[in-house]
Amino acid sequence: MILFKLTWHSLWNRRVSVILTLLSIAISVSLLLGVEYIRKEAKTSFLNTISGTDLVVGARSGPVQLLLYSVFRIGNATNNITWDSYQTLAEHKRVAWTIPFSLGDSHKGYRVLGTNQDYFKYYQYSNKQPLALSAGKQFDGVYDAVIGAEVAKQLNYKVGTTITLAHGAAATSFSEHKNKPFNIVGILKPTGTPIDRTVHVSLEGIEAIHIDWKAGSPVAGFEISAEKAARMNLTPTNITAFLVGLKSRATTFRVQREINEFEKEPLLAVVPGVALAELWQSIGQFETVLRIITLFVLVAGLLGMLTTLLSTLNERRREMAILRAVGAYPWHVFLLFLLEALIIVVLGCVLGCLLVFFGVQLAQPWVTAEYGLHLSTWILNWDDAVLLLLVTGLAVVFSTLPALIAYRRALQDGLTVKV
Amino acid sequence: MNIVELNELRYRWKGQSSDILRIPELTITKGEHVFLRGESGSGKTTLLNLLAGILSPTEGSIKLLEKDLSHASSMAKDRFRADHMGVIFQQFNLLPYLSVVDNVTLPCHFSARRKKQAGDIQASAIQLLDHLQLHEGLRKSLVTELSVGQQQRVAVARALIGQPEIIIADEPTSALDTSTRDRFIELLFSQAEAQQSTIIFVSHDPHIAERFPRVIELSEINEAL
Repeated sequence: MILFKLTWHSLWNRRVSVILTLLSIAISVSLLLGVEYIRKEAKTSFLNTISGTDLVVGARSGPVQLLLYSVFRIGNATNNITWDSYQTLAEHKRVAWTIPFSLGDSHKGYRVLGTNQDYFKYYQYSNKQPLALSAGKQFDGVYDAVIGAEVAKQLNYKVGTTITLAHGAAATSFSEHKNKPFNIVGILKPTGTPIDRTVHVSLEGIEAIHIDWKAGSPVAGFEISAEKAARMNLTPTNITAFLVGLKSRATTFRVQREINEFEKEPLLAVVPGVALAELWQSIGQFETVLRIITLFVLVAGLLGMLTTLLSTLNERRREMAILRAVGAYPWHVFLLFLLEALIIVVLGCVLGCLLVFFGVQLAQPWVTAEYGLHLSTWILNWDDAVLLLLVTGLAVVFSTLPALIAYRRALQDGLTVKV
Repeated sequence: MNIVELNELRYRWKGQSSDILRIPELTITKGEHVFLRGESGSGKTTLLNLLAGILSPTEGSIKLLEKDLSHASSMAKDRFRADHMGVIFQQFNLLPYLSVVDNVTLPCHFSARRKKQAGDIQASAIQLLDHLQLHEGLRKSLVTELSVGQQQRVAVARALIGQPEIIIADEPTSALDTSTRDRFIELLFSQAEAQQSTIIFVSHDPHIAERFPRVIELSEINEAL
């Protein structure tokens, strides 16, 4: 108990350097915990890019490729699904709902997604959250468009803005569907998913802009006006992919197998959760890198503490001689240094936790407004506690060096230091 | 009762070819105030460290309180020092971050025996400080605000608390002026007598020697010189 009192008073006596050391440890700890937190949040957010959907179906390719173009709007489909096949599967007795996706066009680099009203009804992301509009309404007419939050923000679009779509996915596409402009009727709230970067139109709209096209380019001298096209039969012949919601989740694998063995054309159905986890693993290398970096930051913080402890050894030589004179054993001196490191690092950990907690609390509303991501409140979980224990253990190991030096000096100096 | 008994004591630093200390015989009895005079290099410091149990003799024996400690473990010697010795240094005796009273009670936290003998350690410390003319105003001030003379008196109170049998003072007055020095010695004597502690006072200052009933010239008893 007296050792604790001595350490505490001694630390307070040297408070400026002690507080600086403590801060550097607190910052390292908060970085360590913060990165852990961000890593987990990123993973959760990634795995929840799409939710409530039981199967994603496209033409036969790889599961990751299917996921990339259908959910993340990255890359292109190699093939399409015929409307007939889609109809057949949509009416499957175990299927509750489907959402058709027609991809291939873009607007200023943002992908255009042709779909129908079921999209607004059934599509869910994050924790089974449905889509919501921040302005306007869902598309209704052939030339209506609903844009994602980021599209609206970056291009400064409002409800009522008129846009033209470009053929293909590149931002500088030369073949634009200029004669059939779209009217923005709604803007979605931020979701923190690729939806924010998507322009949504109806399947009929996609059909209409391609009605006078053939094999990816306009047919010369055969132009159909927007009004005329809107009155034509706009039932699509192909779609790119579709999402499936089942009546019972328990039948997921049976339906998946049925689709994969579909006879009319080669199709691929993937369970989004499984495919997302697979994809995360392949791009998740950065997790390890982040962890290694923060570990180095932490070691730097602890080395700072070690430096401070070592630099006090000389000025505290007198202190140790006095303690020896009044009856302290050499191991008391050893413990004194260990205790000092322990107090600094424990306080540093507590402060670090507080920094992360309040940092997240402060960032929460901003991140939700800006990116549509809902950050969960930071609480110390088991993994963090293990990390903190590791930090404390490391600090104790580090501090044995000055403690040992002080111990040896205590033995040598005895009562005769004349500093 | 013999407090200190040295017999054929020899000390040689490791790697040295000759002894630095060779004392055939020295006895100090209970309650004595002994002045141990020696120039620097006379083996003064070595003798103090031997008495305090920091060093072990190369040959011969050291008996303290009629107990042979020559071959005791360093742990046992540390324990003995904590229980039976009060030490006063030349200067900077106090921990700057503790209060005056906490500095005085410090030995009681490392020795159960001295704690027991002190009883209420706070009250005991205050009583000692009172006797050493460090009154309430001074007791409440920061250690670093005290004058050197006052600091040395606090060190005396710390050495005396819990009634250790032996007080070792290593040139405690060298930083004091003449009048402060005389008063310091008076107070040290009266308090040590009150609890029958033996004083071993080391210095090279011949003026102080006059005040001591017994003066030992280290150069006379140390045959290694």
